[in-house]
Amino acid sequence: MARTFYDEMYDASGAVRPHYREFARWLAETPDDLLAQRRREADLLFHRAGITFTLYGDDQGTERLIPFDIIPRSIPASEWRVVERGCIQRVQALNLFLADLYHDQRIIKAGIIPAEQVLANEGYQMAMQGLDLHRDIYAHIAGVDLVRDGDGSYYVLEDNLRTPSGVSYMLEDRKMMMRLFPELFAAQRVAPVDHYPNLLLDALKSSSPLDNPTVVVLTPGRFNSAYFEHAFLAREMGVELVEGADLFVRDDKVYMRTTAGARQVDVIYRRLDDAFLDPLAFNPDSMLGVAGLLSAYRSRNVVLANAIGTGVADDKSIYPYVGDMIRFYLDEEPILKNVPTWQCRKPEELSHVLANLSELVVKETQGSGGYGMLVGPAASKAEIESFRARLIAKPEAYIAQPTLCLSTCPTFVERGIAPRHIDLRPFVLTGRETRLVPGGLTRVALREGSLVVNSSQGGGTKDTWVVED
Amino acid sequence: MRLSISHDTTYHYDDQVRASIQYLRLTPHDSERQQVLSWQLDLPRPVHAQLDPYGNILHVLTLDEPHESIVIGARGQVDIDETCEAEHERQSALPFLRFTRLTQADDAIREFAAQQSKARVDRNGLIDLMHALNAHIAYQPGITEVDTSAAEAFAGRRGVCQDHTHAFLACARSLGVPARYVSGYLYTDDAEHLASHAWAEAWVGDAWYSFDVTNCLARPERHLKLAVGLDYLDACPVRGMRRGGGCEQMHAQVQVAPLLQVRQQ
Repeated sequence: MARTFYDEMYDASGAVRPHYREFARWLAETPDDLLAQRRREADLLFHRAGITFTLYGDDQGTERLIPFDIIPRSIPASEWRVVERGCIQRVQALNLFLADLYHDQRIIKAGIIPAEQVLANEGYQMAMQGLDLHRDIYAHIAGVDLVRDGDGSYYVLEDNLRTPSGVSYMLEDRKMMMRLFPELFAAQRVAPVDHYPNLLLDALKSSSPLDNPTVVVLTPGRFNSAYFEHAFLAREMGVELVEGADLFVRDDKVYMRTTAGARQVDVIYRRLDDAFLDPLAFNPDSMLGVAGLLSAYRSRNVVLANAIGTGVADDKSIYPYVGDMIRFYLDEEPILKNVPTWQCRKPEELSHVLANLSELVVKETQGSGGYGMLVGPAASKAEIESFRARLIAKPEAYIAQPTLCLSTCPTFVERGIAPRHIDLRPFVLTGRETRLVPGGLTRVALREGSLVVNSSQGGGTKDTWVVED
Repeated sequence: MRLSISHDTTYHYDDQVRASIQYLRLTPHDSERQQVLSWQLDLPRPVHAQLDPYGNILHVLTLDEPHESIVIGARGQVDIDETCEAEHERQSALPFLRFTRLTQADDAIREFAAQQSKARVDRNGLIDLMHALNAHIAYQPGITEVDTSAAEAFAGRRGVCQDHTHAFLACARSLGVPARYVSGYLYTDDAEHLASHAWAEAWVGDAWYSFDVTNCLARPERHLKLAVGLDYLDACPVRGMRRGGGCEQMHAQVQVAPLLQVRQQ
């Protein structure tokens, strides 16, 4: 099948795009053996820094290094400004949607989203009904996954409003590039990203009504795949990294055990799913949470970031409605496009999906991390048939989308430099205002032809540049 | 009918408990069917009441001084309007369509529900379902545990009111009928059943109707409602955690009595 991919560095005629000219010149001038040596150096430094992740579904609990590629993904500033506005618009609408859903439900009454689809959704949390949050912030931290189709236009693949991860790679990749290739940053202006931890701390603090709230990062612990990131962000922000056992609740307030006695906690940046937050209110087997946390939260004595119950807004069955949310709450047209989506719970859309499985991407509505998805054009007959059975058994659990021609970016592979598919996850912070640092995390599918960029599925990362054009 | 309730729960621990926390749903609230005349909780220390996610009255008891036992007492008087069959509510019932681990419907339950209700999702269909479940799961204490799921109890065909209720919820939700767990007290002259009780409510038309599978009752004549939720875990009267303490012995005493002299006045 012939496909045309948009390449970030080269245009259709093979010429280097203007915002990559400086880099291309540098690449041509730099001897191959020097590049090879720097790449080895990068591997060594990442190992030493302990930037690894644990692979789920791997019995060994093996820690792996996420491959880092030294060829950056570069975005012209004029293009970035549109993406930035689009992300802000989207996250603002999603926060307004959550506030509405857990209060007046105007969007349901207006007939824009069917009641059953949100209220009977697993991500909808009764605990949030009628609960007022300071500044109405639900998703303090959002990761918006973007890809570019054949013509270069950006599409939102999904919104991650629960506990999006990956921002530590964005920061570490930049540090690494500046350390290995300082000359590149002298040659042109690349927008900085290192103020992200300051913006994050500011967003977290401003989500509390207190003047100088005590903030902590709550991690499930060192066996979690993103533990490195939890520790990293706590250190960068200068706040405590805690596990559930370090916190306790007394009279609806949350305290942290310290060597100097109990200290009240006001804002918890939690990297723990809703179901594990409070064993007395949710999953009773959770050893990771804090007994009584929900009562403290509902008494408004502590802020959780993100709020409980944001999952209802990033569910893939709700995704098709985000454009309508933007029109409804902001009275604006969406800046970023949604990928056309077939909802398998609708019988007529299901039959279309079943008839075209070999061309579509099928995803679980509640899935994440690239697990449990079918990429039709890359799947074997057996894989397609097994997915067909799953779809027929539980159609409401799936959506399908056309296979997008994800853009490519030149990448170091075993036999030199070759194009590989990439995506982009900007991290959108909401406190007093909604903002983001320029760029985000670029993930690259290292296997030739692969469209799955998740680190758990053999993806790597690249530094992401926003450069003046 | 006016009911007088006295419910004492005592927890004894083999070792000293360093700290404990309990979510207590031991206070009924007024509704169309019940009017709380007086209610008092006796706790080791004073605690403010709050509302939980389901609108139940919740007390969160935190004890951080070492202790070897906890005594929790609840007593009061409530008027039950026996003629009131349904409870209306403004909140949407749709969140109660959701399955939980304890109420997940497997193929056997789905098939049973469709067959016994004859695909009728009205009150009569659900009453038939209630009778069928009562016949299918024999009341027998000591077989199931608090974390036994609907599917396990359904397959094992023996259980208590909690299992009956979970099985009913799994059936009703599989038919697309919102249904919820109710924990409360039952007045009974028959000593076979404990006076702490559980039953189900299902949303039919525009109101919640009761279905007591254990007693095959579709009219909640002698039922006092304490709390509702998606399953036992949301609605149970006491849910707690502790640090230390070793083994625990729980002793619960419940007395539910009608106040006949009041009725005669």
